[in-house]
Amino acid sequence: MRRNSPPAFACWLVESVLPGRYPEAMLGDLIEEYALRAESTSPLTASRWFYSQACRSVPSMVWSALRSRDWHISMSVAMGVYIIMGMLKFAADWTISKLVAPEQTTYVVLAPFVFLTTSAIGGCVAARIRRGATMFLALIVVITVAVLMELKVCAIPVPWWYQFGFLTLGPLAVIITPTLLGRLKQQGAVT
Amino acid sequence: MTFVAYLFYIAKQMKRGELLGSLEHIILLALARLDGGAHGMIVRREIEERTGRNISIGAVYATLERLEAKGYVSSVTTEPTPERGGRAKRLFRVEAAGKRALQVSEQTLRSMTAGLESRWGGI
Repeated sequence: MRRNSPPAFACWLVESVLPGRYPEAMLGDLIEEYALRAESTSPLTASRWFYSQACRSVPSMVWSALRSRDWHISMSVAMGVYIIMGMLKFAADWTISKLVAPEQTTYVVLAPFVFLTTSAIGGCVAARIRRGATMFLALIVVITVAVLMELKVCAIPVPWWYQFGFLTLGPLAVIITPTLLGRLKQQGAVT
Repeated sequence: MTFVAYLFYIAKQMKRGELLGSLEHIILLALARLDGGAHGMIVRREIEERTGRNISIGAVYATLERLEAKGYVSSVTTEPTPERGGRAKRLFRVEAAGKRALQVSEQTLRSMTAGLESRWGGI
């Protein structure tokens, strides 16, 4: 980390994960304030302040996205995309189990890739239709995975971290992939 | 009787959902004090200095976005600067509808607190 440069993870959290219309302006404010605090106090104190601001912003931004005036439209879009995601995952699961890897152990290895890919595609489609829909879609994914974990639908016993990976990485893929793709497009890497 | 008439007046004058939440109220007041437009961090600092409330920048921006959707504030983007890591600044200012909403909230608060001073006594 360069001297007086704000913490990279917190910057990423603010710009890529937090919902909202002005993540760039918010990050700019934080960077400007960080520089002032790093000079007046110390870079460590300023970094701690930056992290606390970034983490404390998560609940209010997520809650605000969920209770926006036209939340029902975002929710409808998320539900529609979720159904498409379900169909995609079903088709992929069927193909893997019947054609590629009939053994259940191979399926356990491939399942996370299928899940993350469909989550990423779902996130991109939802963001393309309506930006606010990604947060709802992530919430639906979390609820679905939590319910499936509670019902113990997996026939093969799997470690806790495997299930925890589904619970955390799935919604993250929904939220982060559209932001990453958008940034790549801005840089001209994707046409 | 006057109070009931006032409630009818408010119901007639205001569209549904026009009453301000507490954070909306404070942020609109901060923006009104910072005449001519201010960005989120300045609003946050103003509130912290005046009320001692250490609110997060996310809460400020989430509220500003909500106020903008209601038409109470407007915003413009400035040119990106190196001090901000190449990010643009978003300047917010109170619109006429926002000033009206502030006035109505103030009147409502005054009406609701009128006569309570004697009961509160030494508090």
